[in-house]
Amino acid sequence: MRPGRLIAKAVLALAGFLAVFPLVWTALNALKNNVDIITRVPKVIFTPTLANISYILGRDSVLTGLYNSAVACGAAVLIGIVLGLPAAYAVARYPNRFAGDIQFFVLSLRFLPPVAVAIPLMVIWLQIGLYDTLPALIVTYSLLTISVIMWLAIPAFQGVPKEIEEAAFVDGYGAYSVFWRIALPVAARSLIGAIAFSFVLVWNEFLIALMLSSSNAKTLPIVASELSQQGMNVPWGILNASVVLLSLPPLLFLGVLSGFLNSVFRQKKS
Amino acid sequence: MRRRSSLPVTFLVPTLAILLVLSMVPTLYAIVIALQNRELSAPGYSWVWFSNFADLFSDRRFLNAVWVSVKWEIVTVVATMVVAIGLGVLMFEVAGPRLRNFYCLLFIIPVLLPRVSAAFVWKFAYHPLYGIATYPYRLITGGLIFDPLSKPGSALFAVASVDVWQWGLFFAVIVLKLLETLPPQPIEAARLDHAKRWQIHAYVTLPMLKAPLISLMFVKMIESLRSFDLIYVMTRGGPGVATETLDMYAFSQGFIESGKVSYASAMAVLMMIATVITFTMLWKRVQA
Repeated sequence: MRPGRLIAKAVLALAGFLAVFPLVWTALNALKNNVDIITRVPKVIFTPTLANISYILGRDSVLTGLYNSAVACGAAVLIGIVLGLPAAYAVARYPNRFAGDIQFFVLSLRFLPPVAVAIPLMVIWLQIGLYDTLPALIVTYSLLTISVIMWLAIPAFQGVPKEIEEAAFVDGYGAYSVFWRIALPVAARSLIGAIAFSFVLVWNEFLIALMLSSSNAKTLPIVASELSQQGMNVPWGILNASVVLLSLPPLLFLGVLSGFLNSVFRQKKS
Repeated sequence: MRRRSSLPVTFLVPTLAILLVLSMVPTLYAIVIALQNRELSAPGYSWVWFSNFADLFSDRRFLNAVWVSVKWEIVTVVATMVVAIGLGVLMFEVAGPRLRNFYCLLFIIPVLLPRVSAAFVWKFAYHPLYGIATYPYRLITGGLIFDPLSKPGSALFAVASVDVWQWGLFFAVIVLKLLETLPPQPIEAARLDHAKRWQIHAYVTLPMLKAPLISLMFVKMIESLRSFDLIYVMTRGGPGVATETLDMYAFSQGFIESGKVSYASAMAVLMMIATVITFTMLWKRVQA
């Protein structure tokens, strides 16, 4: 048993190392001069430079991409919250014979191949004159955020103890104020997890943004991918810096999302 | 206790109406476009009905793309589940509570990254001369060149490894959480019967988790359909057409090479029909 355990621990440690090391290495490369990156033997000790990062943050295309990503994702998540949470509550607390079908419909939106949505939408936005604008992107992303938030919020609302809500009804609360004052605050922690998840999903989205924008509405992932299309002539440090910038916002949610994961499974256990 | 209230109607109807419009309009319009002969460069179009679909089935590049997509699904789904169950069980067996939390945090990081970032990170790492992942090979062989992304035989696996890096590690966390929800008695009973550790998992715990594991696999199958970002950044479908999946081919037909929007849409419609039918059937089965 002993050598087995040792090997098991080693495998785990290796997996943990593999999970983060490539990212750490990218972050290190973002701080390197090009001569320190293009070496046959990887350099661990080098003189760090902030040139790549300041170059990235000084480029108009990157700043526009950052702005577009923030606005498109922020607005889509907001729409997702406003439309998704109440609908999820209704499904969770007022079961009717369509509840199963509604849940399946919301999930099935995830089956749609992104290309199948993006091609017709591109033609539609071109015809209306909204192609390559943020509103077009926001509307398209809303489909994603509404359905994901709704899908994850249904179990979150179901996890709220029924007794609390019943007690509020007895105290004379109406159906709407029970939602506002009881269900929302009690389920808040899980709901924030669901919202964070939907944000990460649209922030990371690539194919739809690529097809629905040509210059004005490019989001950060598109800008970052274009940097590399100029071949390997672009200094690698700059590319690495753009990867780091693109990856930071989702990583900020690491704590929230792992907490969300824990609460989902704690619920299952009890 | 709950009196008849207008809440379900006011809360549900607007949202469902918007979801229906947002999903049905593009879906139906995709079918309309597929029956026409639109091109990006020319404004006019006419109805050609099913000739786009007929052309697809004699298009060898399309058939290749179908095959690559099927390979991609199988490789990524199987590898993800193997990695997830393997690491999940290992964490369950040898890691204490604190170490578990630490690993869980590490394993969630890759999946949070934008696919574009993950693709770049590994594209650098796989660089034959300067990559960190190819360095061990260069070191051992004394400087021989190993270029996984530019060989037709290995490119698909190299890209798939990034997908597994993201999803396999993440699912390992979920497998661990699932194992933690199991009641301890059956495991204890098996231990008293002198079952070996791997036997306990193979015959007791994993069969108990069959339903959630199948759901997990289902989720991965859906997510594997979204391979475009990785392939677009890492190989652009190359070398040749070795990693050209359906969405990659549809994109290059519609936007890069010829601007044949209708032809691309026909492909997208076929994908849509195939995935909706497959996943609806699978879902009903999982639920039953």
